[in-house]
Amino acid sequence: MDDNYKEYLAIRVLSDQRPVTYRLLSRALKVNVNTAKRMLYEFHKKQNAKKPGSVHATYLLTGTRRSEDATNGSNGKDGDDIDMRLSPPMSSMPEQDDEEPEEKPIPESVIILVEEEDLEEEKADFEDITSIHVYSLEPGPIVNLDMLSICNEEIVTEHSKDDPLKRWKTYGSIHNPYMKRRITKYTPIPPKAAAKPTAPAKKDEAKDPAPQKNAPESAPQPAATAAAKTTSKTTKTKATAKKDKSVGDIFTSFAKSKPKAKAPEPKPAPPEDEPMQGMSEDEGDDDDNDDDQDPGPQVKPDAAKAAATKKAREDREEELRKMMEEDIEMPDATEREESPEPTFDAPVEKSAGVGVGVAKPAEPEPAVTVQAGRRRGRRRVTKKKKVKDADGYLVTKEETVWESFSEAEPEPKKAKPTPKPAAGGGAAKGKKGAGVAKGQGSIASFFKKA
Amino acid sequence: MSTRLIELEPTFTHNRLSALRPPLSALRSPLSALQMGLKDSNMLRGEPFDDDPADEAPRIASNYRPLHTFDLPYGADRQYAHQFADVYFLRLVQLKNAVKQKAAQAWDNFELRGKKPKFVDRVLDVRQGELCWMVGTVYMDMASKPNVLDDLSHEHWIAAAPAPDSYIDPDGKDKMMFEDESGRLRVTGEMLSAHYVTGCILAALGTEQADGVFQVIATQYADLPRQPQRWEREDVAHTKAKQPKPKREKAGKIALISGLDISDTSTDVRLDLLLEYLTGEAAGPTEQSKAATISRLLIAGNSFERASPILSRKDFDVMRSQKKQYAWELSDNLVPTQRLDSFLSQLLPTLPVTLIPGDTDPAGVALPQQPLHPVMFEQSRAFANPPLETNETLHGLDFVTNPWEGDIDGFRVLGTGGQTVKDLLRYVDGVDPIDAMEMMLRWRCIAPTAPDTLWCYPFQDDDPLLLRESPHVYFAGNAKAFQARTVVGPAGQRVLLVAVPRFSVSGDIVLVDMESLEAEVVHVGMGRRREMGKNGEGEGEMVG
Repeated sequence: MDDNYKEYLAIRVLSDQRPVTYRLLSRALKVNVNTAKRMLYEFHKKQNAKKPGSVHATYLLTGTRRSEDATNGSNGKDGDDIDMRLSPPMSSMPEQDDEEPEEKPIPESVIILVEEEDLEEEKADFEDITSIHVYSLEPGPIVNLDMLSICNEEIVTEHSKDDPLKRWKTYGSIHNPYMKRRITKYTPIPPKAAAKPTAPAKKDEAKDPAPQKNAPESAPQPAATAAAKTTSKTTKTKATAKKDKSVGDIFTSFAKSKPKAKAPEPKPAPPEDEPMQGMSEDEGDDDDNDDDQDPGPQVKPDAAKAAATKKAREDREEELRKMMEEDIEMPDATEREESPEPTFDAPVEKSAGVGVGVAKPAEPEPAVTVQAGRRRGRRRVTKKKKVKDADGYLVTKEETVWESFSEAEPEPKKAKPTPKPAAGGGAAKGKKGAGVAKGQGSIASFFKKA
Repeated sequence: MSTRLIELEPTFTHNRLSALRPPLSALRSPLSALQMGLKDSNMLRGEPFDDDPADEAPRIASNYRPLHTFDLPYGADRQYAHQFADVYFLRLVQLKNAVKQKAAQAWDNFELRGKKPKFVDRVLDVRQGELCWMVGTVYMDMASKPNVLDDLSHEHWIAAAPAPDSYIDPDGKDKMMFEDESGRLRVTGEMLSAHYVTGCILAALGTEQADGVFQVIATQYADLPRQPQRWEREDVAHTKAKQPKPKREKAGKIALISGLDISDTSTDVRLDLLLEYLTGEAAGPTEQSKAATISRLLIAGNSFERASPILSRKDFDVMRSQKKQYAWELSDNLVPTQRLDSFLSQLLPTLPVTLIPGDTDPAGVALPQQPLHPVMFEQSRAFANPPLETNETLHGLDFVTNPWEGDIDGFRVLGTGGQTVKDLLRYVDGVDPIDAMEMMLRWRCIAPTAPDTLWCYPFQDDDPLLLRESPHVYFAGNAKAFQARTVVGPAGQRVLLVAVPRFSVSGDIVLVDMESLEAEVVHVGMGRRREMGKNGEGEGEMVG
């Protein structure tokens, strides 16, 4: 540290001819501001001893000025003012009249920038000087002191990469232990964060939360979460990868007339217990909105894996069926064209449904695609149906039906789908008793409605 | 140690030099030098740089409990279709009793030529020649006051014309009216001229003259309402929760500034000094530890020079001269926002900030102005809680309404961006902002001139701009100069009024001690020679 500052100052002031403030120096050398002030003083003294006038200093002077100046600002105008509180002649408030003396002189301290030429003169004006230090050094007298604020601008642009909540340790600004800083998704993320899926996801997750709390470092931290996410995702997809391939073959046979842009890769298809997620294949990890507040998916892979090994077969079938459902809910135009396809699909769908229905009540998962700022997909809605029963009474039945939707991007009910799988399962179980025939009527009802 | 003593020498010489002049500082200087020596705070000292442990006291905690009195409903619940008449009606209904009580007390024993004054319930029930008193809303009929009917009869404004500096008619043709639900009555009287504004609720004693004008002899107003005890809200909450009262540390100070007037062109080194002072980087350890007692910064409006959709008179002229049609053409760049953002983001790691918008800030023009939107503050909003989760940030950056009310260190603090005061001063002549502020409190109405000449939300069921409880500190931003006063209410309420000057003009920061409720000023600026030049410009600007 010893001579660093001389070099820095020599380059900055003498050769580059640019001003430097103590604050900039402290940021550049990572030293305490008070040390930086003294470094400026030392440099100024030494340089001017070598060659008088080579460096110009501006001082910061604090203290109190002589009283007549202190009052000047505050009650200078008082004399010619009409008192607005002219109280009514018979006012009942005596305190209004003798209130005036209460305005006692207000203590005023000053913090001023003074150039070295004016220093002695200014000091003479002070009643009490509490501190004085070199504020900045510059190659020569400056025309406008406002120019010095470029140093602080430089701090913002050049020296603000560190954690703002830890700056006090290095630079000696006042520490505030109560301050918290959120990590927003706007805090810069190193671009390569998404491209390292090798690390085991579990370890990352175990490690992450701790540093997350007390080390809110701007850059590396979001990277870590992002990395953890990618890894968790890849392992998850790995778990389903095997069966996906087999599905792919069957799937392609159905999807021949499908628009290319929408062709869903097997990868993003969520395993059955994953909460609803965007399914568009171009959804990168970094435009995932829930980066920092939705830890849900991170815990999932284990459950997904267990479920996958246990019910690989059901999964496969369900996946297949989901593909087809997605296939069907195309933009309206293509739907018309493909009118023969549903009839072709229906038997497959039914057989799959029956197969699953016995082993486990497979409930279609809500699939949502995001496309050009709009979300499309299917959701479950509870509808009331009035039926006249055998005795001629009107009976209202509640039925859950699938319904396709398409709406503007930020889906308002984003939070809801998370508890849904459980609820859906429960509802499905109940429905199983009611009758399997009705349970799988989703496609049919979809077209009936249309 | 010995080297250090030698190194200290320059201070003594410096102080001696200045000590030669006045006897007073001769007494003080060695003392302060001694203090400096003890704290080893001499900054005019070179090598070795062996000290500076970061062992300074941390910043004093800010006990901050904002109230959300002035929050407007969101979305479709925010209705602008209502009539403003309700605002006046509500005001009269809610204040009538208080004013009546006050007046009854005052005029109970009053007699004029053997006659006792009679209370008249409705303004129109006043009989000619009969001594009586009534309660009503003041309406000032002033020639230069903007009139919404005039505006309508003219063509539609593309941009509303800026308000004139004063509404007072130079020929003295302004009329004062008294109104209630029943009607209006013209009033005159010596003591009335230039002291009252539209919207304040008064009781007036007098008689109706032959020409139908009510001659006022005396008036009464509601005066300060009840003042909560210190820590009242917290204590009540604790008692409800059956918790013991917490042990409270000695409170620090709050810093008030307003009118930073950040624009895209001007740079102001004083803003840097302000920042460095508040973060505790500028000056020596004595000053730095003093700065650590500042527990919160409140910015009272006009952080931007011109970001309001309504133009100032100056900008209006500029706009017309440049043949521009829309306000945004004057200020369609992001530099000011980024500047304020970077200022706040450097400050926030060490100091919590409450940001109150003002009339030049992009926060809507109608009172109560709603909080500035965090989206503008890319860096500093990381210190604010996300608006979807909570509407307050206790430690960090709190975007609040204007006016704003809350408890800081147990005391009730009420603050505005200053447009209420500014508008009130247009009605009256030769009145200080601080007087206007006092009158507002005594009339129990924070914005009496809204909705007449101040834009205001059309409140339907309740008007939060009426003063329910006396604050302990009432500040208003963007005053011409700093002023402070402690006013006393009828029940012993003590309120500290602070007129916070525009920082861009004065360079003043106001500190309010939250134990003693006393104000002090810290002036940030430059040497006399420099400041002379700068002030010259500033004065010229203010006159023009």
